[in-house]
Amino acid sequence: MEQFLSAVFAGTASGSIYALVALGLVLVWRGAGVINFAQMGQAMFSTYVASTMIINGYSYWIAFFVALAVGTALGTAVDLLVMRPLSGKRSSAMLASPAMRGTVPVIASLGILGILQAAAGMIWAAEERGFPAPVNTLGLTIGGTVMPFTAFDLFVIGIVLVTLIITTIFFQKTGMGLAMRASALNPEVARLSGIRTSSVRTLSWAISGAASSLAGLLVTPNTNLSPNTLDLILIIGFTATVIGGLDSLPGGVLGGFILGLVISFVNVYSSPSDIFLAILALLLIVLLVRPQGILGSKEARRV
Amino acid sequence: MLKIENLVAEYGAIRALDGVSFTAAEGKITTVIGANGAGKSTLLRTISGLERAKSGQMIWADKSLIGKAPESIVRSGIAHVPEGHAVISQLTVAENIEMGSLFRRRHFRSDVKLAIEEVYELFPRLAERSKQLAGTLSGGERQMLAISRALVSRPKLLLLDEPSLGLAPLVVEQIIQTVNDLCRKSGLTVLLVEQNANTALAVADYGVLLSLGKVVANLPAAELKADASLRAAYLGY
Repeated sequence: MEQFLSAVFAGTASGSIYALVALGLVLVWRGAGVINFAQMGQAMFSTYVASTMIINGYSYWIAFFVALAVGTALGTAVDLLVMRPLSGKRSSAMLASPAMRGTVPVIASLGILGILQAAAGMIWAAEERGFPAPVNTLGLTIGGTVMPFTAFDLFVIGIVLVTLIITTIFFQKTGMGLAMRASALNPEVARLSGIRTSSVRTLSWAISGAASSLAGLLVTPNTNLSPNTLDLILIIGFTATVIGGLDSLPGGVLGGFILGLVISFVNVYSSPSDIFLAILALLLIVLLVRPQGILGSKEARRV
Repeated sequence: MLKIENLVAEYGAIRALDGVSFTAAEGKITTVIGANGAGKSTLLRTISGLERAKSGQMIWADKSLIGKAPESIVRSGIAHVPEGHAVISQLTVAENIEMGSLFRRRHFRSDVKLAIEEVYELFPRLAERSKQLAGTLSGGERQMLAISRALVSRPKLLLLDEPSLGLAPLVVEQIIQTVNDLCRKSGLTVLLVEQNANTALAVADYGVLLSLGKVVANLPAAELKADASLRAAYLGY
C-alpha cells in the first residue's frame, strides 16, 4: 500500500511537470502551427541562468522569477527573430509550397535548439551540475511516520495546479484569452474581428516559454542540469501531447499526468528499464484506438 | 462613401478583378450581382484586406485602404461578413459576438455593452442560445451570428457576402429585411454581394453587375432589375 501511494504521488508530481511541457507545446502548435523542438532548450537555458544566480548568492526565489522572465523573453525572441521573418518569406518558391511552410519552422526550431545547447556548453561548460529545490526532496516525516511523498512533490503539484488554474481562467474568462482561442481556431474570422493575430501568436510563444522554463526549474532538482538533460523531458512531453490530443490544452495536460503515473508505476512495480517500452506501448494503443488523441479533435488532423 | 477605382486583383493565375470601378453611396445599399466566378467575393475580400490588390485604388472616408491589414481596416469602420456563415463553431454564441467587440473594449467599454445588447434585441434567438456553441446553431442562426459579430464593431460600412447561401427563403427574407432596416434607420452603408439577384435588387438602391472581373452595368437597382437584356445575358433568366 505504501509502495502504491508513493508511486501515485511521485507519478502525479512528475506528471504535472510533463503537463507543463505539453501545455507549452500545445500552445505554440495551436497558436502558430509549429512543433517547437527548441522548447526545452529554452528551458535549459533559463534554468542555467537561475543556477548561476543561486551559485552567486541570490535567493532561490529571485532566481526562480528571473528564470521565468528569461523563459518568457526567449519564447518572444524565437517568434520575433526567427518565426515571424520566416513566415513572411513568401517570395521564395520553396518556402511558399504548403509542405515547406509547415516544415521550415520545425527545422528552424531544431536549429535554435542546437544553438542554445552549444551556447550553454560554451558559457557554463558541458558537465552536469545539480539544481536546488526550495524544499526538502527526501521523504516527508509527519509525527514520526515517513509519508509516501516528499515536500518537493507537494510543492511541484501545488505550483503546477495553480499555474493550470490561472491558465484556464486566462483562456476562458479574459478578452485576451478569447482572442488567443479565436486566432487559433479561425485566423481569418479573428482578423476580420479586429484581433491582431500576429501579436497573439507572439503571446503564445511567450506563455509557452514561461511554462517550459517553469518545467525546467521543477524537473532539474531530480534530473540535474546539463545542456542535454531536458531533451528526454521534451520527448516525454511531446508524447503526452500526442496521447492527449495535439490541438487540445486539457488533452496535453491529461496526457502529461497519464504518462507521469504510467512511468512511476512501471518504475515501482517493474523496472526502470521497461519505462520506454511502456511509453511506446501506450502511444501505440492510443494511436490505434484514437489517432487524434484522447481529447483531440478529428478535424485538426486532416490539415 | 467607398470609392473603388480600377481595382485589379489576382487569384493565383486568374485575374479575378480586372479594373473594377464603382462607388458605394453613404447610407445606401449597393448590391454586387453576377454569376459564379464573376469576382464578387474577391472584391469584398480585397476591400477588407484579406486579399491584396494588384493595382488600383480604394478610398474610404478620404483614406486609401491599399496595403492595410484586415485588423486595421475593421478599425476604420468596415466590417466584412464573409461567405458561408463565418462564425467560429467551437466558441459559444456569446463569445463569437464578444470577439467582434474586443478591439473596442479598452476605449468604449459602455458602448460595447450597448452594442451587444442591441444585436441580441435584433436577433432574440441568439440571446436564447448565447451559451450554446455556435456549431450547434442552424444555418440561419449562424448567419445572424456572423452579422452580429460584425455589427458589434460598430461599422459604418457592412460588407455582406452571400448571406442567402444555403438558407430557406423565409430566413433569407428575414435577414435581408433586418439589413435593410439597419441601413434605413441607422444610416449604415451596405455593400451586398449576392448570387440571388432578385432578392438583392428588391432592397438595394444601386446594383453593380460583374462579369468575369469587369463591371458590365452600374445602375439604380430598379433600372437594373427592369433591364431584361442584361438579365438574360449575365444572370441567365
